[in-house]
Amino acid sequence: MRLAGDSEVSTLETPIGPATGRPPFLSQLHEWVTTVDHKKLGSMYVVCGIIYMIIAGLEASMMRWQLAWPGQTVLTPEEFNRLFTMHGTTMVFFVGMPILLGSANIMIPLMIGARDLAFPRLNAFGFWLFLFGSILLYFSYFGGQGLYGMGSAPDVGWFAYAPLTERTYSRGHSTDYWILGIFVAGIGSTATGINFIATILGMRCRGMTLMKMPLFVWIMLVDAILIVIALPPLAAAQIMLLFDRLLGAHFFDAQAGGSALLWQNLFWFFGHPEVYILILPAFAYVTEIIPVFSRKVIFGYPLMVAATVAIGFISLGVWVHHMFSVGLSPLINAIFMASTMLVGVPTGIKMFNWTATMIGGKIRFDTPMLFSIGFLCQFLMGGLTGIFLATVPFDWQVSDSYFVVGHFHYVLFGGLIFGILAATFYWYPKVTGRMMSETLGKWQFWLLIIGFNMTFGAMHVSGLLGMPRRIYTYQTERGWDLWNLLTSIGVIFQIAAFTLFAINLLHSAFKGRRAGDDPWDAWTLEWSTTSPPPAHNFDEDPVVYSRRPLWDLKHPEDPDWKYE
Amino acid sequence: MSTAPMTAYPTPPEALPQDGMSNGKFGIGLMIVSEITFFGTLIAAYVFYIGRDINPPYPQDVLEVSIAPFKVLFNSVFLLISSVWIWLAVRAMRKGRMGAFIFWWALTVVCGAEFLVGTGMEWYDMIVNDGVWIGTNLFGSGFYTVVGFHAFHVTMGLIVLTLILILALLGHVTPRNVEKIDLVSWYWHFVDGIWIVVFSVVYIFGNQAIT
Amino acid sequence: MTEPTHTKNIREIELPQPTASPMVTAFGFTLMVAGIVTNWIVAIVGCVIMFVGIVKWFGQSNPESKEMPAVPAPKPTPIVPRVDGVAHLISDSGHRARLPLAIHPYSAGIVGGLLGGVVMALVAVGWSLAMHGSLWYTVNLLAGCMLSDFAEQTTEQLYAFQTAGIIVGVMIQLVMSVSVGLLYGVVMPLLPRLHLLFAAILIPLMWSGLTWASISVINPALSEHINWLWFVISQISFGIVTGWWIIRSEKVSTMQNWHYLERMGIDSPGVRKMGEAE
Repeated sequence: MRLAGDSEVSTLETPIGPATGRPPFLSQLHEWVTTVDHKKLGSMYVVCGIIYMIIAGLEASMMRWQLAWPGQTVLTPEEFNRLFTMHGTTMVFFVGMPILLGSANIMIPLMIGARDLAFPRLNAFGFWLFLFGSILLYFSYFGGQGLYGMGSAPDVGWFAYAPLTERTYSRGHSTDYWILGIFVAGIGSTATGINFIATILGMRCRGMTLMKMPLFVWIMLVDAILIVIALPPLAAAQIMLLFDRLLGAHFFDAQAGGSALLWQNLFWFFGHPEVYILILPAFAYVTEIIPVFSRKVIFGYPLMVAATVAIGFISLGVWVHHMFSVGLSPLINAIFMASTMLVGVPTGIKMFNWTATMIGGKIRFDTPMLFSIGFLCQFLMGGLTGIFLATVPFDWQVSDSYFVVGHFHYVLFGGLIFGILAATFYWYPKVTGRMMSETLGKWQFWLLIIGFNMTFGAMHVSGLLGMPRRIYTYQTERGWDLWNLLTSIGVIFQIAAFTLFAINLLHSAFKGRRAGDDPWDAWTLEWSTTSPPPAHNFDEDPVVYSRRPLWDLKHPEDPDWKYE
Repeated sequence: MSTAPMTAYPTPPEALPQDGMSNGKFGIGLMIVSEITFFGTLIAAYVFYIGRDINPPYPQDVLEVSIAPFKVLFNSVFLLISSVWIWLAVRAMRKGRMGAFIFWWALTVVCGAEFLVGTGMEWYDMIVNDGVWIGTNLFGSGFYTVVGFHAFHVTMGLIVLTLILILALLGHVTPRNVEKIDLVSWYWHFVDGIWIVVFSVVYIFGNQAIT
Repeated sequence: MTEPTHTKNIREIELPQPTASPMVTAFGFTLMVAGIVTNWIVAIVGCVIMFVGIVKWFGQSNPESKEMPAVPAPKPTPIVPRVDGVAHLISDSGHRARLPLAIHPYSAGIVGGLLGGVVMALVAVGWSLAMHGSLWYTVNLLAGCMLSDFAEQTTEQLYAFQTAGIIVGVMIQLVMSVSVGLLYGVVMPLLPRLHLLFAAILIPLMWSGLTWASISVINPALSEHINWLWFVISQISFGIVTGWWIIRSEKVSTMQNWHYLERMGIDSPGVRKMGEAE
């Protein structure tokens, strides 16, 4: 790697080295528990998110073991139901959400030149609500009295369709744990979303007008607005479900005139913005990474802003495409088919802007850039199958099949997780002060590319061959054997890749090369302070004149503000 | 930095364009937005179920829109007018007149308390005399959820208002705190505003639409 | 940074004090909620804990937010221009140039596509003459894209001259050649290197693969009678001719870096003339 950070080593080594002696464990723990510092809270979010990613990944691996051959008996049907429910719920609420909130937590104040978020204590509150909420959900493995009095986790799927969740069909408390765990975490996320918006709108440093903000901050602003608008409806729907289950209300009870369809509408009114809440941060990461590693300014900044806002708006009006197969009127289906396809326009604009940024650039294929390119390719695949699925007749064919599973894993794994990995490699030096290993990173990238495409590419085929999702086993004569085996073999590659990632994370934290303040020769404000940044972020309040303040400082002869 | 010729920079940008709104106002404003989407969902469900009930009693058998003391219109008047009192209280505080502030603030608390008492009496009447509870039928489920969550928000607001009143009587609230007090009044206005929607949907619109 | 106006003594920077109250409040709230599914005593305990947390929190932020001075930390290294190691994008039009600076003219793509289409047709018809002794065989097969009844015709019928076949076949060849040629012209300057390899080999192979996957749906007539080797050779002949024609054309500069007034053709004395400079 071509880094120029070596000269900084001497200035950094003395003050933060372990030579000063680490404080005892208890006082360290006390420091983390009582902190209101956005960087520490953000790091805790990300670490918790990664731990849950490992847990949910192991749940998925067990399911793939069960499905590798027809007629396996590794898991019972009940265990399988719990696993896919917990896998989906965990990945969405306890992996995607905390990592996006954590990264925004760390980066937003640094990028806009602020000392902290607008409400530091509320920020801590949001984090602890997320953590305790997730623990409450996982406590259901011990506390959720199932039908036979055994501990049981929720087993109703991550979107918990009524009437399966009504107390007639879901006995015991497992579904209540699903409701309450996510409800608690959701309150925390909403509070943090409010915090982000207030910070971005009110605490930017001098000179940073809205159109000079880094695109990361813009995208996170739209993301936070979506969080504030979309999460409370879920809380409301969950409360109705809770009243059904605990107090005997009839919201989703068809026998008393209630409607199971209402739950679908309410859930997906939250659920579809939620998937944009999850994917927008990945857009934010690659939008920062691709220009730096192409040595070119992002192509079409104003259009990127407009496209982000457009995605935010449109995402609030597409939820019915999850319900094409329930038998709504053709008119409604047609309207939502059109609005869904409309999302492709701003997303397409973004794809073109990213590629146009790369064209003609001096591209460096460091690990963050590799993962960003992986993101582009795989997210494109997921986006295209999304357009297929938006077409009502096609959706009727493959709804609830493995094709859908393949599609949304291409978007959320190939998109979001690859974005997260790119961001981890990119910002790890800033947060810890040390570089991650490039060699391990590249090994991880290629293993993951192979494993990911093998697993989820094959799912498209088994889906088209008619394999429904959420079945715990299948017969051999259905012709799905090969594709399921391929899917499961891909998981082995993925496990290897994530093992390397874990080793890399831990090893680099202690033995990684010192990063220096600005290892990637980047342009946004977070690289102008030390790595890791001091508690107050900046000794002096920064002043910015253009979208790339560090470029201006590095190239006073040809500054950016002359062009903007 | 040393190499950067100072003359190359444009004139330093002066004050931020967004200095007008404080963090607290953003925070409370956005909290109200999220509350509106929360209530919007509950109310949407209520509207969706109007006229779909298959078990009596129906709303028009139970709900009584009357101005008589402690009936719903009477209570609503008290709640809505409390918005005016709290506005006067904040205005008095801005002018530094703490006596007037305490008077208007106390009046707000009294009006809010009246609303809660009235709601409680209405519920008692419905549960004991009409036999409608949350599990009775769809109307019961919707009514107690929507009106109940509104009453819950009024209760929360009332607790905060009362605490501020006590602190003010003890002399801990000074005109320097006016910004925070103003934010509390924003929340109270929201609680009142959402009641107009809840009342219209539950007592007027939902009361007639049923056969 | 370099602006002296906002320089502060580090001791004057105030940060909120660490506090456990948010965590205590969150824990109490979670316990309170967990009481619903466990035991009401849990809820009561949660309520008490939450109350303690809220009181502490209130004390933290009232009447004034509890702050502490910032701890001095190592200074960040000054930001200096860095030329070592990292390649920078430097072109005559500055670091903000819109790339590519010059592209092949669209006309080159159209003409190249037409030429390639003619050569490809000659190769294909030549094969048909040599192997089947018929001038019309390949044309009829191509026309099977749109004339579905050709799929039911016998080989002898396909050998014969058919008016519909020749019209449709020529039209398809014309439209496809021009469109693909145009695409070639747009995409080729975007590639970093090996333009001719891309145009002559890679794209024809990819196109053939795509055709192989979808031909039974698109053109049943061709799918029955196709000779894949010859099909690929025809495609490559198109690629070679079109690619060669486009590469030898002279590039024209894009107007992306021009001032928008200049792009609109408005005479504006103050504006730097990018178009005339070249």
